[in-house]
Amino acid sequence: MVRNPYIDAVLTALLAIIFIIGSSVGIGMLARFIAKLAGATRRKQENTFAGYLFASPWIVGFLIFVIIPMAFSLYWSFTDYRVVSNEPAQWVGFDNYNQLIMKDEGFHASIVNTLFLTAIGLPLQMAVALFLAVLLNRKMRGERIFRMAFYLPVVLGFNTAVLLAWRLMLNTGTGIINQLIRALTKAFPPYGYLNRALIFFQEVISALFLGISNGNFNLLNQVIKAGFPAENRVPLWVQSPLWSKMSVVLLMIWGCGTMMLIFLAGLKNIPKELSEAAEVDGASNWKRFWRISFPLLTPYIFYNLVVGLISSLQIFEPIYVLYRDNQPLVSSVISMVYYLWQASFRHFEIGYGSAISWLILLIILIVTVIQFKMQNRWVNYDLY
Amino acid sequence: MRTKWLVLVLLVSIVLSACGAKAVPETEVPVVEPVTLKIYLLDYTPDTIAWLKSDINPAFEAAHPGATVEITEGSWSGWDTTFSGFFAAGEGPDIINLGSEMNTLYGASLADMDPYLGKAAWPDITNFGPALENAKYQGKLRGLPIFTAPRYVFCRTDLMEALGWTTGTPENFADWVSFAGMASKIDSATNSLIQQALVPVDAGSMADWQWWLLVYYSLGGQLYKADGSPNFDSPEALATTQFILDLRHAIYGPAVNAVGALPAGQGSVIDVNDDTQKDNGAVCLAHSGWAAPPFTRPIWSKISIDPFFGDPTNFPNSKPVVLAFNDWLAVADYSKNKELAAEWLKLAFSKEANHKWNETMSLIPARNDAQYGYVTDSVQLKREAELAAQYGVGFAGIEEAAKLSTIMQDALGKLVTEELTPAEVVEKIQTEYSAALGK
Repeated sequence: MVRNPYIDAVLTALLAIIFIIGSSVGIGMLARFIAKLAGATRRKQENTFAGYLFASPWIVGFLIFVIIPMAFSLYWSFTDYRVVSNEPAQWVGFDNYNQLIMKDEGFHASIVNTLFLTAIGLPLQMAVALFLAVLLNRKMRGERIFRMAFYLPVVLGFNTAVLLAWRLMLNTGTGIINQLIRALTKAFPPYGYLNRALIFFQEVISALFLGISNGNFNLLNQVIKAGFPAENRVPLWVQSPLWSKMSVVLLMIWGCGTMMLIFLAGLKNIPKELSEAAEVDGASNWKRFWRISFPLLTPYIFYNLVVGLISSLQIFEPIYVLYRDNQPLVSSVISMVYYLWQASFRHFEIGYGSAISWLILLIILIVTVIQFKMQNRWVNYDLY
Repeated sequence: MRTKWLVLVLLVSIVLSACGAKAVPETEVPVVEPVTLKIYLLDYTPDTIAWLKSDINPAFEAAHPGATVEITEGSWSGWDTTFSGFFAAGEGPDIINLGSEMNTLYGASLADMDPYLGKAAWPDITNFGPALENAKYQGKLRGLPIFTAPRYVFCRTDLMEALGWTTGTPENFADWVSFAGMASKIDSATNSLIQQALVPVDAGSMADWQWWLLVYYSLGGQLYKADGSPNFDSPEALATTQFILDLRHAIYGPAVNAVGALPAGQGSVIDVNDDTQKDNGAVCLAHSGWAAPPFTRPIWSKISIDPFFGDPTNFPNSKPVVLAFNDWLAVADYSKNKELAAEWLKLAFSKEANHKWNETMSLIPARNDAQYGYVTDSVQLKREAELAAQYGVGFAGIEEAAKLSTIMQDALGKLVTEELTPAEVVEKIQTEYSAALGK
């Protein structure tokens, strides 16, 4: 029989459609049968059939693309499975989990790094998003252009052009960010002191986190011993392990457009009368923001916090974009998900990688549950 | 009722026409099975791809009616994720582009091509140089090498002379450190390097693992002991690590000085910027020809090419080394078109084709008999080919290469920040690599 790749593709697509229709009808009939067994009326049975029939394409997709891979991943997490070895997975029980939790220093370091990005990066990201939303909430000329400009990074994502642009911008000697810092220092000498103080503070914090992740505080001792930075010091963005995480935080902040939009929606939702009444009573802008807008924004802050925490605990792209070709710095910034990627797709240890993914899921689950448990203490739903 | 009749008539006519079609006698036309040979190449020049598409593939398709060649272009950035997807799915390109050290990594998943490309099947195989060893796994051929890309030490003789350094490329560790201190310049206004004595693969950290291995081999170091365990606890490993740190200090100063790296320039780091007529900043470059200026650049009259000489003063087993990398094309074990893949390889790796392929990239062909024309006509390539033949050490045979890379980059990164001492670094690498190898 003559094979034609185009006909093959069309046939595959047709078979997929037939499979979706068939499986949907099958699930619908099964649901109707169960309803019948449960003693439902004929009308109820028909409604059950129709409901499941139309929901089935999603259910089938969910089963095939989520549940089944998850089941495989769970199984592999208890095995030694190397994808390029041409050998089947070997059952090793809890060895992978034991290794990860008790022995693997690399994984522990990745947890500390992720903690840094979450504890430092996420609050900064949210603060900038809120600041931009407050600015955009005011009537001003070109408001839509600014809104689009701040949201553009979300649309652009982390493609090659963005990677190149950031690498150039973060270049220590000629990058625009350091050039701006130098220009500002030259124009306003007091800013130079602030800049150096920030450099010192940031390097101490980074060295502390690196010390925790390595179990060795040599770098922290060196930073403290070196003392207040010299006049010509600038951040060594993508060059030094002391700045590698902060460079990722910059990229996180750059991509805060979605958070900003949510804050903006929240601000627009607050009745103007509340603010106007306070203004009549003589409240300043600052007071009105803190006493009226901020408490009413807490549901939005809570949402951004939950989503932001999940996202920062899963951070991968900015690290991959900035450091995949800068191997000496990877260990200083490696996150849990980057570690997972490294184990699975560089070392091809799918079993070990699967175990990492389940541990990450567990960590995210615990953190999210804690957040929901604590929301009653600070989230204000009075307006809703 | 009328509709039911219409449907019945339609169904009967479909059945009848189907039967009628079956009744037509089949003609005896020879049918060739159409097949697509898929090839995945990484970061080749547009000239190379254009040549493959205009010359090699049409010739192959003409010789194999029904066969179509499909080339997909990928990048060395992220190749590992892509390849692991192919192997996990057991489906993907028939021929994939690999690097030198990847024979041990993927070997088990690559096809045994001895029946198709071995001496008995293809006598031309005897014309391949030592790079062929990198295309083998467990003694069996898995594909064919395209080129040899050794890493040399390129130095700007004009800048050396201007500095008063008259003895040429340093030939021992002490000279390298003295030279590095003399030839590196830091701009005090920006606290960044404006001239760097040596850029060894990675200009910023100067701690690339491949550079470490080159230095190590030059001291006569062996990666494994006789029992197969790693040899990072050897004196050569410690001396190499100390040298990497000394050289870094001589150029950047101590880590706390936080000196910025050389700015990214236009073209090679040892070239001159055409717009500003200023040097790009490196006096010497330890890398392959890819990182050096194109051979057409006028700067070549001021560039020397040498091996890395090791440290004969302190290590009598030192030897000049150029670390030879090569790209090769392997046939995946999951491929259903192994024989066809071998046929394409034979065509694309004939004497003339291997020559032409490398000419599009100005590299040294893996076939010895293809090293003519532009190779011998070019002063630089001729010198490179001679050095490779004389001092070439293959970057191959590294067990768990990806893990070693991760382990070494982690440890060497901590070396240059002075988080770990050289002794701690080699101990860390030895322990972690031993565990990775199960030793």
